[in-house]
Amino acid sequence: MTTSVDPITLDLIENALLNARYEMDSVVVRIALSPVIREQHDEFPMICNEKGQMIVGQFGSYIPAIVEQFDSDINEGDVFVWNDPYACKGSISHNNDWCVMMPIFHEGNHVGFSSIFGHMVDVGGKVPGSMPSDARTIWEEGLRVPPVKVYENGVLNEGVLAIMLNNTRTPDMNRADLMALIAGCRVAAQRVGEICSRFGRDAYMTACDQLLDRTRDAMRVLINNYISEEPVTFTDYVDDDGVGNGPFKMHLSIYRRGDVAVIDWTGTDDQAEGPINFHIHEGLCKLFFGVYMIMAFDPKIMFNEGFYDLFEIVLPEGSLLNPKFPAALSNRLNTHTRFFDCQAGALGQKAPHLAMAAGYGTSPHFIFTGHDKNGKYFQLMELLFGGVPGRPLGDGFDGHAWWPLFSATPLEYIENYYPVLVESYKPVRDSGGAGMHRGGAGIEKIYRLLEPGSISIHDDREVVPPWGINGGLHGGTSSKWLLRAGETTPERIASKLDNLAVEAGDKVIFITAGSGGWGDPLERKLASVQKDVRADLVSVEQAKSDYGVIFDDTLTVDEAATSALRESKRAERGEAAAFDFGFIPGVTEAAE
Amino acid sequence: MRLGVDVGGTFTDLLLHDEKSGRTFRAKTPSTPEDQSKGVANGVQLICEKAGIKPSDISLVLHGTTVATNAVLEGKGARVGLLVTKGFENTLHLAKSWTPGPLFGWINMEKPEPLASLQDTRGIPERMTARGEVADALDEDAARQTIKQLCESGIEALTISLMHSYANDVHEQRLKALVAEQFPDMSVSVSSEILPEFREYDRAITTVMNDYVRPIMIRYLSRIEQRLAEVGVTCKLHIVRSDGGLMSAAAAAERPVHTVLSGPAGGVTATAMTARRTGLNKLLAFDMGGTSTDVSVVQNGVPEISRSTEVGAFPAKVPTLDVKSVGAGGGSIAEVSELTKSLRVGPRSAGAMPGPVAYRRGGTEPTVSDANVVLGYLPSKLLGGDMELDVEGARQAVAKIGDSLGLTPEDAAQGILDIANEVMLGALRLITVQRGLDPRDFGMVAFGGAGPLHANAMAELLGCYPVVVPANPGVLSALGFLEAEFKNEFVKTLIRSASEEDEKKIWDSFTALKAKAQAWLVEQNVDEADQGISYSLDLRYEQQGFEVSIPVSADAVESRSGMAQVHKDFHETHERLNGVRFDLPIELVTLRAVATGSTPPVDETPPKGGTTDANAAIMDTQKAYFNGKWYNTPHIDRDRLAAGARIPGPAIIRQYDTTTVLMPDHYADVDERGNLMIWPTAKGA
Repeated sequence: MTTSVDPITLDLIENALLNARYEMDSVVVRIALSPVIREQHDEFPMICNEKGQMIVGQFGSYIPAIVEQFDSDINEGDVFVWNDPYACKGSISHNNDWCVMMPIFHEGNHVGFSSIFGHMVDVGGKVPGSMPSDARTIWEEGLRVPPVKVYENGVLNEGVLAIMLNNTRTPDMNRADLMALIAGCRVAAQRVGEICSRFGRDAYMTACDQLLDRTRDAMRVLINNYISEEPVTFTDYVDDDGVGNGPFKMHLSIYRRGDVAVIDWTGTDDQAEGPINFHIHEGLCKLFFGVYMIMAFDPKIMFNEGFYDLFEIVLPEGSLLNPKFPAALSNRLNTHTRFFDCQAGALGQKAPHLAMAAGYGTSPHFIFTGHDKNGKYFQLMELLFGGVPGRPLGDGFDGHAWWPLFSATPLEYIENYYPVLVESYKPVRDSGGAGMHRGGAGIEKIYRLLEPGSISIHDDREVVPPWGINGGLHGGTSSKWLLRAGETTPERIASKLDNLAVEAGDKVIFITAGSGGWGDPLERKLASVQKDVRADLVSVEQAKSDYGVIFDDTLTVDEAATSALRESKRAERGEAAAFDFGFIPGVTEAAE
Repeated sequence: MRLGVDVGGTFTDLLLHDEKSGRTFRAKTPSTPEDQSKGVANGVQLICEKAGIKPSDISLVLHGTTVATNAVLEGKGARVGLLVTKGFENTLHLAKSWTPGPLFGWINMEKPEPLASLQDTRGIPERMTARGEVADALDEDAARQTIKQLCESGIEALTISLMHSYANDVHEQRLKALVAEQFPDMSVSVSSEILPEFREYDRAITTVMNDYVRPIMIRYLSRIEQRLAEVGVTCKLHIVRSDGGLMSAAAAAERPVHTVLSGPAGGVTATAMTARRTGLNKLLAFDMGGTSTDVSVVQNGVPEISRSTEVGAFPAKVPTLDVKSVGAGGGSIAEVSELTKSLRVGPRSAGAMPGPVAYRRGGTEPTVSDANVVLGYLPSKLLGGDMELDVEGARQAVAKIGDSLGLTPEDAAQGILDIANEVMLGALRLITVQRGLDPRDFGMVAFGGAGPLHANAMAELLGCYPVVVPANPGVLSALGFLEAEFKNEFVKTLIRSASEEDEKKIWDSFTALKAKAQAWLVEQNVDEADQGISYSLDLRYEQQGFEVSIPVSADAVESRSGMAQVHKDFHETHERLNGVRFDLPIELVTLRAVATGSTPPVDETPPKGGTTDANAAIMDTQKAYFNGKWYNTPHIDRDRLAAGARIPGPAIIRQYDTTTVLMPDHYADVDERGNLMIWPTAKGA
């Protein structure tokens, strides 16, 4: 085997691999039926080398563990599938994610793997959508498939597929979505084969190693520059676990020992009774920290797992982040997102360009199921969005996706297929945390239900608000309301609930959290405050209380009154605080 | 006599064709970006002098314009008011909630202001359902008040885009009438007229974009018509649409959003012409300019059409020639990443100013053009130009890249070209391999300032031969305009399960679309013999989000049968494009009729005179770097070559408006139309 390829060939192979990885996305999205995969891009591809190390992609590599289980009985034409988080060390973290993997061969030689996981709309279990908010064990969360071959030597294992599809409420959709994932893996295998033919197999495999080294070298520089030997810590909270416990504390310490960054979650609460446990793979944990630093510093660097030995991860056993089997996992997104919030809060203390405020803090779901007038089963599942945080670069975004490449399903699509009529869809005024760069606002979506059925909801940040940073203030919290047909006053309902019976004509008011602001709101440009007030994103009252900006009757800034008010507010406040939490469980009183 | 006019960023190209004598004349004048019509008028005078005709002898002016594109890209459009269904005022502001990948992509996201601001958006009490039934009646009193207040606030145009208006346009039409009552001069666009398809954001943004560019387009059209009249042109002006078709100036003033990709359309249309003339059925159009490269596919002489595109950060759902654009061109800047030492080329570009180092306009960063200079591909003195290139400056700039990579200046230059070629290869793969097409079945037409410099290397990577370098790559777009057809699309959205749907309803809808198409052709004064209507159905598996367009024959529409064949074609096309087919219900989404009015072909005259002996056309011999070594390479004057000449590679073939690189182990033949046809030696005679 050659020991190195020239730098230009290396760059060419890197480009070719990136193209292949994006092609995986586009194939999956074109074929998939489920709007969760198609519109919300809840699918994650990767390409690995023959050792199972991720060369390009954005999730942790677990392939060596699978290979080990099959004692190297891995052949051309095999396609593996699984969804059990406990059988793959948390590389996927709830049963809804079906993961597909195939080995890649070139002229009979094994040169790598391709893999994708995607979110299935339903995988069985006790509630539609398979994410019961009151589950206490994973046995309640649908079918668990250990790693098995769904294709062996190119032949479909009908039995495996039949078992999987027999255990979901949406078999046609899951079949198409699974085939979409497989098609995505196949296209990667084909492209890698072509790269081997073009540059030579040895050159390709050597280049993979060099790409790992190259990213590792870059990460070493970033770690040395931005992570101090002295620990920084950060604490944030998940509201509750859906069965009455909470808030749950997450506590992170970060420090550097030599070239190695230590990420220590000691101090995080014990695992929850309800399903908010996040069984995270160590590799994934490393990747999340690496990607965050790369994105803030040089987003063109290719993510791969070359830098994994530069991170040391401490995940206390039996904690929220390392729960013991058979802890329930389906609603782990709250904890997942709080993981990222802690990461931003800790890293931001030593590196200003890594300082982002907290966002809407989960992936809010709305599920509506029932039978229509013709007796046909329907299952609407929709992800909602909220405030994307204030950032060093500028304002956050109102009602946008914190998660990459997600986008809202068109209302006209939803209303064509499901018995709902959306009455309004708009940002929540004053829910974006004040800041020199304002946090994004949360969303209010009002659904009028046209058939009887039942609804399920998952959300968070109802109790503990998204915090602001570098002087920025916290953002608004989430809430859910049900207005029964014929009533005039809505009743408040929980942010995590399942199978609430509803009647035709009932309305659900779904409000997501905003996000924290970045920087001192007293320094925000007057023109920006005026624009927000005129667009009804910020009230005149909040402009005065948080930004120190006074408006006249024509919604024009009164500059003289404003500068006097800002002056006195500054004097009263003193130095702006590094963080503004709004409410710290056990420390301060809840807002509202 | 037809006149094609292509306004580019730097030059305005004109091509005049005299059907009687079979002669064509070309002219080039500097563009006038502050008002494109000035440059056009200058060009018309110039070309009339050259051809010895009077402007009144011109029978038709065919004009491709970037007025609409530039207004969107530069954010210089009109102030647009927007009326939406109450409760959905934030549709544009929320912009589908999308943020870019990968994880944490939002950290670096830059989001432009919406084309209609939130402050100029108003909700109207009304609601239609997905089935086109009225859920809430239109509140006319409230609407009148809102319209008055908004129209008096200083907006220059007004868009009406209500929920589910594709299914029932009654409320939109009523609002339009209410606006006309109070503000008869207000420019109004209605979403169910501009894009009668579902997906509220796409429909709204496309319609708003129409209004955003409309006042500018109207002003531009009136200026150019006036200027053309002043220089004595008496004929009609036609505008080139983004799908390569033609529309009258009046139609362009109504629907300027259909011109957002008017610029690149000419080259693609000309590639289709080249396909028909040379008998090469499958061609890739490779248009490499200063900042970007546009590629597209032509099969059986017909370019592919796409129904959605992006203009800057905004989607536009209008029919366009399916052109894929990537940020690599002659001006793309090469740099080495500080952290990983990887070489990157583009998308940052030195543009025309400061430009490549070699152009001596103040550029200091090495570009793709500088790499071409270092390797001896671009001659130090460009033909027809007074400019002496700064070869030494280019070499020093490229050498810096080499230093940080441990490469010689030559190898660094080669690396820059290889990376740039790889980026363009990505775009070419996207339109071929990713759509189930084998690039080795295709040839490639090279144009744009840098296309012929890179085409041979691209062909070697993809295996697509021959490379066709047309006789006048500089006026290829204008040539394409001369053969463009009149074109318009008529569509209907019908989201229905195909199995449930009464076939009668489909055929009724097609019959209705056909009637609309025929009426339009009559309105445009297209002779009956030149009229054509084609039909297609956009289908998908139930609940998929992306449709596949399947042609429906005119016979099927006439005989009201043939759905089985359409379904069969759908399954097959889905499998070709995506590698799988499903046993699932098929869903109808959109019916479409495309009306065309053909124009007579341009008869080009073959090159006269010249020599078939390539040696006799050598101007100079200089060294050029190929495959790791320097070759003494002849520079050949293309104008001295006659049909039948064969040039062995390596060679640099020079002409007024471009330079062609012919690599070792290749040869180029001059065909009877003056095209250079490049083949690998191993394949040919």
